[in-house]
Amino acid sequence: MTTAFLDITGAGKRFGAATVLDGVDLSVGKAEFISLLGPSGCGKTTLLRIVAGLMPPDTGKVVLDGDEITRKPPHRRDVGVVFQNYALFPHLTVAENVAFGLKARRAPAAAIAPTVARFLDLVQMGAFADRSVRALSGGQQQRVAVARALAVGPKLLLLDEPFSALDRKLREAMQIDLRRILREVGTTAIFVTHDQDEALTMSDRIAVMHRGGIEQLGTPAEIYHRPATPFALDFVGLSSRLPGKVASEDSGIVHVDTGAGAIRAPGNFISGSAVVLGVRPERIAVGTEGENRIDATLRDVVFQGARVQLHFVAPEGGRLLVEAHEVPPGVAPGVTLPLSWKLADTLLYPATPEGYAA
Amino acid sequence: MSTTRRLDPVLLLALPATLYIAIVYGLPLLFLMGRSLFGTGGLDSFVGFFADPFSWTVLANTLRSAALVTLVCLVIGYPTALVLARAGGFAQAAILVAIILPLSVGVVVKAFAWQIVLRRDGIVSQAMTGLGLWSEPQRLLFTEAGLVIGAANIFVPFMILPIYAVLKLVDPRLGEAAATLGASPIYRFLKVALPLSLPGIVTGVAFVFSMAASMYVIPSLVIGDRFQTLATLTGRSFLFMRNEQLGSTTAVVLLALTVAVVIASASLSRRLGGAQ
Repeated sequence: MTTAFLDITGAGKRFGAATVLDGVDLSVGKAEFISLLGPSGCGKTTLLRIVAGLMPPDTGKVVLDGDEITRKPPHRRDVGVVFQNYALFPHLTVAENVAFGLKARRAPAAAIAPTVARFLDLVQMGAFADRSVRALSGGQQQRVAVARALAVGPKLLLLDEPFSALDRKLREAMQIDLRRILREVGTTAIFVTHDQDEALTMSDRIAVMHRGGIEQLGTPAEIYHRPATPFALDFVGLSSRLPGKVASEDSGIVHVDTGAGAIRAPGNFISGSAVVLGVRPERIAVGTEGENRIDATLRDVVFQGARVQLHFVAPEGGRLLVEAHEVPPGVAPGVTLPLSWKLADTLLYPATPEGYAA
Repeated sequence: MSTTRRLDPVLLLALPATLYIAIVYGLPLLFLMGRSLFGTGGLDSFVGFFADPFSWTVLANTLRSAALVTLVCLVIGYPTALVLARAGGFAQAAILVAIILPLSVGVVVKAFAWQIVLRRDGIVSQAMTGLGLWSEPQRLLFTEAGLVIGAANIFVPFMILPIYAVLKLVDPRLGEAAATLGASPIYRFLKVALPLSLPGIVTGVAFVFSMAASMYVIPSLVIGDRFQTLATLTGRSFLFMRNEQLGSTTAVVLLALTVAVVIASASLSRRLGGAQ
């Protein structure tokens, strides 16, 4: 990704007194799949609409393939969009929907039918070409919307929560299908979602968005294992958090006093600063193998099929979540057990004035 | 799966309206039609009507003025409906009030207002000569142009409202989707908004055409006796000429005409919207 295919710099948008997008920078490489992940109101859809040309930014610049498109109208951008509700043309058939963009761009008539057929086959909707789009199920409409957006060969494809209306099984199948289709076509894509699983499954990189800015940009593994901020830790995956105060710092290892005991973590903090410790639930084990240890009382056991969640309460009200494959023998709510995890799995953040909650 | 059909009790709710229409509209209409057919000698009255060249002038007047009024309403009304559908909040409410409120002013009052506006030294004439578009002041009052302007003014809400009602239901994302597919604003309008609003256009055209074809007060006040339409001729026949035979004949012709327009427009909309 030495040369960015899409380069967004300083994109800002305000609605009245509310800053929806606060000077966002984002570079996307060619054929890359990037997710904008965040809760509703974080600015991800606004950013998408700015890139599509459906909304002008107040500040900033959008450059696509070396061409500044900030002020270009949407129909001259070569940016395709798959909308959340699919936005298929109800008065046209499946094939006519896919042909719409080709006709609007005055593609040679002889080329339209083969292109439409090719993209309908790509999304496995070839058999439905002459159906009315109103007769299709949600998943089928979704496939047609993808075929319609890709048929014109856009430089960039934007997807605005395209799976949110589908049930879980279908959604998971569509995620894998969409990834395969985009790889086949080689399209660069930005995917907007509030579903962390979706983002982790599909993306080359994820941009975690919060309050109009990007909190962290990285691969799914980086985002999950090394969340850069308490918000990223909180929004992506489950975690246990313990507030504490730095007691001492020694060559990159910080000693933190928590209500539940002394914990060590990698980091650089001045003694006395308030911090938040975080640990992923599958990194905590019942036992004493890890460098960090805490005694906690089991309060709840939640069976989840392949895994069980153990909810612990530490002294001074700290709460710890442990994920295991099975409930250890002889363990029931009420017992106090030693919990431990590795030094390297301990995440450390400065405590922010408003706390660390999402 | 039962083959016996039971009347849905909810249908009874339509009973008052059905009775009302049957008594105050259906019965008189039947009398009228009966009189036109069986008054003197079967279809003689119709044969006589269509043999008279004056009748053809009246028919042409009716169709031409109604078509022009409908056209003016469509040309003015469609963009208004488009703006109304896209506007939000206060602007939308303000436009709606501006469209609907004038309906509460009686036609007679409006007709006298037009007499001021459309006469030789009226605002329109002064403006046109002032702008140099007309070489000398002209009188629009007592002309067909004046009639079309006046009638369109009254009927335009009946064009705007059905089109607006349909356009409002069109998902704005469709236009955005078309734009991201590379469609220019004009292409988007022609291929998305216009076909999707056709049912509204057809309803509006049917409303305005049938009202314009049967208007009586407006031509009487704006033009007078020199310009006869089926409606004014029907009125004259009953009120002044005491010729019930002629009046019922012209009334039935007018009825057939407007019913034909409504049926034709309905089938047209079904055909145009066939893919929907």
